[in-house]
Amino acid sequence: METTHEALLPSVARGDTTAFESLYDRYSSTLYALLLRILSNPEDAQEVLQETFVKAWTNAKMFDSARGSEVAWLISIARSRGIDRLRSRKIRGDRENDAGREISIHSAFVESTTGADKAVQSQESSAVRSALSELPEAQRLALELAYFEGLSQSEIAAKLGEPLGTIKTRMQLGMKKLRERLQAFK
Amino acid sequence: MTHEEFESIAALDAIGAATAEEARMLNEHLASCESCRRARDEFAEAATMLARDLDPVAPPPEVREHVIETIADEDAEEDNVIESRRRFIHPWWLATAATLFLALWGWREVGIRVARENVRTQLAQIEELKAANSLLHDQKEKLSVEMSALASPDTRAIALAGQQISPSASARVFLEPGKRRAIVFFQSLPSNPKDKSYQLWIIRADQPKPMSAGVFDVDNAGGASIVIENLPLATEMKGLAVTLEPRGGVEQPTNTNFYLMGNS
Repeated sequence: METTHEALLPSVARGDTTAFESLYDRYSSTLYALLLRILSNPEDAQEVLQETFVKAWTNAKMFDSARGSEVAWLISIARSRGIDRLRSRKIRGDRENDAGREISIHSAFVESTTGADKAVQSQESSAVRSALSELPEAQRLALELAYFEGLSQSEIAAKLGEPLGTIKTRMQLGMKKLRERLQAFK
Repeated sequence: MTHEEFESIAALDAIGAATAEEARMLNEHLASCESCRRARDEFAEAATMLARDLDPVAPPPEVREHVIETIADEDAEEDNVIESRRRFIHPWWLATAATLFLALWGWREVGIRVARENVRTQLAQIEELKAANSLLHDQKEKLSVEMSALASPDTRAIALAGQQISPSASARVFLEPGKRRAIVFFQSLPSNPKDKSYQLWIIRADQPKPMSAGVFDVDNAGGASIVIENLPLATEMKGLAVTLEPRGGVEQPTNTNFYLMGNS
């Protein structure tokens, strides 16, 4: 999927600020959507989004295209920072204040995204949706609770009222299917 | 654990759901397994599909501005650091730093050697203490048996008298017939040579040959004590005698030079 985009991180690693701006324009809406999903709070999501891009700027040299795609690398940074923020907020105990807060800004692609990027993103998005739609609902739910809420196996089992072994198997099967689908795209 | 099992852990790790122990085992394995490393990377890529499935949301424009400003500031800061490093790294400073480094390194090496020596000494002391502790434990066990024998109401005492070769020697035997056990305390026996041991014999009424009841060495005062287990029945015992035999004892007495004798 990623091969249709020109990779920007190698240029960013060389200190090319124009490439960095393109990187931001290409991926910020994907990362922001992810952070909103994890944090359910625009202020926190914006702050973590900034941290993510600053980290991408300083660590761009560490990106290895042989290990994965550019967008996956950025998503991993954003998700990791988002979950860290979520956990520290849980510790502070103010998560309830955010509960039920409606995200009203689900919108289309960022204005600055170019037409070509839009086409590529749209193509990718439908491929991803197709892959995820093939997952049984129970597998998908278990994966989402781990990925977006940072819950452990036992926390998910408790939340869903299922045995721990069942949850573990569901997550493993779900991930194996996603991996197979990903390999089919390549 | 098989590669397949490690791959299953990698699948969980990609969504942050592996336990700390699973993650630790996986990382150890990945250090030496190329195929599992590849699987881990593929699962990590696959996990991001969950994020890519979300509808993109445009962040407010000020976030972009802030990010661009921040990296520009970071660049300026880095330039300043490089410049100040350039100023700092003068040959004179370099030589001083190198000397200081070597001095510290030497000091550290000496410190490590001293610490190693201390560890060796402490380990040797621990071994000595263990041996002493084991000895004390054995002595305590022996004392406990002796106390029990002396305190028992059915204990019978037998005296062994010094013979011609050692007239001042003596011994007292405390017999516990119920337990078929005896404690023997020896006194004033001559020191035994290093290649010899004293051997206590039971002279039995029902057998022509004496039976060994144990070997022992005496201390500087000629004293010793031994515990005899599984004694013959009192009716089968005729007497006790002590000879000097090759170190470790023999099947039957090699001589008739008795140091101690007594009837039971």
